[in-house]
Amino acid sequence: MVNLTIDDKQVTAPKDSTIYDAAKLNGIKIPILCHDKKLKPFGACRMCLVEIEQMKGRQIPACTTPATEGMIIRTNTPDIIKARKLVLELLLLNHPLDCPVCDKGGDCDLQNLTYDYELNSNRFIDSKFQHEIDYNNPLIERDMNRCVLCGKCVRICDEIVSYGALTFIDRGIETKIGCDFEKPLDCEFCGSCVSVCPVGALLARPFKHKARFWALTKHNSVCGYCGTGCNLTLGVKDDKVLTTVYDENQGFHKGQLCVRGRFGYQFINSEKRLTTPLIRKNGRLTEATWDEALEIVAGRLKGGTAVAALATPRLTNEELSLFKKMMLENVGSKNYDHSAGYAHRALTEGFASSFGSSASSASIPDIQKSDLLLVIKTDSYETHPVIGFEINMGVKNKGIKLNILSDKRGKLSKLPGANTLVHIPGTEVAVINALCKSVIDQKLADPSVASLPGHAELIKALSDFTPETIAAVSGLTVEKINKLAADYAAAEKAMILFPTGLGYAGHAADLARAVANLAILTGKLGKEGCGVLCLSEKNNSQGAVDMGFYPQDGGDNALQILDACSAGTIKTLLIAGENPVTSYPDNAKVKAALDAVEFLIVSDLFMTETAELADVVLPACSFAEKEGTYTSTDRRVQHVKPAINKIGQSRSDFEIISSLIVKLGGTPPTTPAAQFSEITANTPGYEGMTYATLGNEGAFAPVSIQPVFVVPVAAQVPAAQGKLALVTGSVLYHNGTLSQHGEGPVHVCPEAYVEISRSDAGRSSIIDNDLVTVTSENGSLQLKAKLSIRIPEGVVFIPYHFPAAPVNMVWSGSAVTMVSLSK
Amino acid sequence: MSDVVAQQVKEQEPEVDLVKADQVIDKYIDLPGNLMPVLQGIQDAYGYIPRKVADYVAERLNVYPSQIYGVLTFYAQFHLKPRGRFIIRVCVGTACHVQGAQRIKETFFNLLHIKHTETSADLRFTFEEVACLGACGMAPLAMVNDDTYGKMTVQKVDEIVAKYSAIPLD
Repeated sequence: MVNLTIDDKQVTAPKDSTIYDAAKLNGIKIPILCHDKKLKPFGACRMCLVEIEQMKGRQIPACTTPATEGMIIRTNTPDIIKARKLVLELLLLNHPLDCPVCDKGGDCDLQNLTYDYELNSNRFIDSKFQHEIDYNNPLIERDMNRCVLCGKCVRICDEIVSYGALTFIDRGIETKIGCDFEKPLDCEFCGSCVSVCPVGALLARPFKHKARFWALTKHNSVCGYCGTGCNLTLGVKDDKVLTTVYDENQGFHKGQLCVRGRFGYQFINSEKRLTTPLIRKNGRLTEATWDEALEIVAGRLKGGTAVAALATPRLTNEELSLFKKMMLENVGSKNYDHSAGYAHRALTEGFASSFGSSASSASIPDIQKSDLLLVIKTDSYETHPVIGFEINMGVKNKGIKLNILSDKRGKLSKLPGANTLVHIPGTEVAVINALCKSVIDQKLADPSVASLPGHAELIKALSDFTPETIAAVSGLTVEKINKLAADYAAAEKAMILFPTGLGYAGHAADLARAVANLAILTGKLGKEGCGVLCLSEKNNSQGAVDMGFYPQDGGDNALQILDACSAGTIKTLLIAGENPVTSYPDNAKVKAALDAVEFLIVSDLFMTETAELADVVLPACSFAEKEGTYTSTDRRVQHVKPAINKIGQSRSDFEIISSLIVKLGGTPPTTPAAQFSEITANTPGYEGMTYATLGNEGAFAPVSIQPVFVVPVAAQVPAAQGKLALVTGSVLYHNGTLSQHGEGPVHVCPEAYVEISRSDAGRSSIIDNDLVTVTSENGSLQLKAKLSIRIPEGVVFIPYHFPAAPVNMVWSGSAVTMVSLSK
Repeated sequence: MSDVVAQQVKEQEPEVDLVKADQVIDKYIDLPGNLMPVLQGIQDAYGYIPRKVADYVAERLNVYPSQIYGVLTFYAQFHLKPRGRFIIRVCVGTACHVQGAQRIKETFFNLLHIKHTETSADLRFTFEEVACLGACGMAPLAMVNDDTYGKMTVQKVDEIVAKYSAIPLD
């Protein structure tokens, strides 16, 4: 700590703080335009000038000057005020005064400072800038005439997002912010630049002219897309969610969001939302009252074991646990599951057997505390972009060693010092087994683990996975495998991350076992910055597992349920929020099952491809309209509250299930809070939590681990035989099929495509945007081609989110699907 | 950036000869802070910085393309458009101005039809007005590449243009 005097006040501040930080910490406000607490000090705007007595009253920037012992600082002498006024005058000389139509009005740092310093005239005259406004993309408007050159956008895009879309162009008075070769902005559209822009130079287009900033009510919430569990502030006016509001103090991610979180909110107030229950009459879905619909549904649910349910892991913990309770106690069926089983197999089968706990042993804040990261399968920046930011910051600011083991390259591969091992798709379990083998052979294993159960079996099984054998199968080299194994074992703190979910089927459970073995073998568990983090796909995937909404005690899993529908043994299927027609593997089989089932009930926000097949459709509501809790991928339990009233006659799934329980003769809890207290009483790790103790940032449900070695089964990768390996998964802009209803993501990434390497494309003379037919044993699909340098030869990538081009027409759900391409 | 990616970028733009770029990059690849020497080397090799080469440098050095563009536009020494084989610089500083630099400049324009920073269609000449070449005693002054021509006259302009027009372009 250092002691200093600011404006005659004795203050103390941490040793590494700047004068600006020290003042802020002690409640002294220094005006600034170019500073953001997440970014490195820059000193561009000269608004934060202060006088330091020891420097003979020279004016120096507070944001770049370290606070030192005994400093005597003045922040508002007449000279300083004069200097700041000059800075503002010079900025306003070229800055257009179009505040009445600027969306930033009321939230603009320049406007506020001009007001604070009572600047009502300008001594200088000059012409305004004449830069062309960039309207080329649907999400971010760039009006460089309003820019004050603080450089925050350039820095955030580099330091945190690591995309580097923007730069300072030219120099001196001509300087402006733009993209390389002054092309239009075409980036990840995470909107980080918009969030930090102090003026109206960068604006969110979907929010343009929707509401003045001060007219918005701000509601804290939790993002409804992926399992990262980012905190959101929803900007609401007239009962509509109009935007997301940046709050630099929110959550572990300090308000950082990805394109989905920031721009994907439009599904909430979408025109396409279902507003009334629908009942199929004479082959057509017709509007009905809730009473009619619930009466019919309740009647059908009295079928005992002939009833099955599929629910989306986007439901709250309260809804999932109540749903399960209804199935067990009121319906009398054990057949319920979520996400075709793929979202939870890594947790419930993999981690449960290896760790004795169906949860990840590491948390997101561990990432920046680690020394070495091993990121498996596709780049996490694409599946969980905000976790990608954490990795970026760890690598760039803390020198964390980054290793990537994937079937394709991505943004993380470009980080400084990133070591990318591109393997043949489907061989990841084998490669991790080889890493384990290499750790043992190099005598780097933790000696204390030899006594753990399963050690001997693992050693025996690993004899088939020598680095030499696996190098040949996986397309890697022995040296690379040995080096990665040695680096991982040698690091004091090392962490493994891998994604799961519908796009990452195949051998999720074995992948979890394999990485668990590697972590156990090297003693990388139970310490800060160590462990394994399974990145779940949906916002409440971990919650669905914690609530036990997956088949147990002989219940059918999702794929068995669909088979039983086809076979006629399941007669009633209740689907809450899932869209199997688009997202489950093997489209033809799914459709046949849903056609065959006697009675199909779908509760959803939208008329999905699955809802179109239903006999009764119930309008559900979104996360912004209901109360409950979500559990993030690292087991942070967070509380969401309604930000707006429910749209139309829609009801939360909690209300729907409660009404059904009443009709089935049971007594449901009165509120989600009552259900949550039941959850906390019965769920390990949730003990003692209440809505009040969760607060705004949520609380971690602790995970206790009992490590055991379990031999993972490595998939047999079929020989290529001139075919290409299909890799499916998430694309940056989407998550599940819900983001199809968010304008933002759809604007940027409107349709499916097949990404191919340039060499494979060249061989079939395919060029960008060519329509190509992708054929597998399951079927075929026509898609636009996208040539890419990140895809290795012999691999094609198709994102799975798009109903218009469902990848499940060709994708079988096994570890690798071989396909061929034709024009 | 890996050589795999670099290879694929090369295939993407077959019309630009990247061999020269590779030679420059290979020379400096292990030097920390190699962006400036690489870009200078690229400019020497190509006469200017072609956009595709800039993108290629970005891939191989693993630098954002935007960052490269920022550097290229910051320094006056980099050129983003093709430049002539012969760069004619006419001084219009104070000493040259009073000695009639304006006439010299106009004569060049009448012969070559290129103004300040412009390049002739055949890529033979680029014309630049400069503020001072540091040899005011020789005013009015002109330079063609590294050759200096002092005490310029209108006749000398004709001679210079004739001399450099006769040299075959490679």
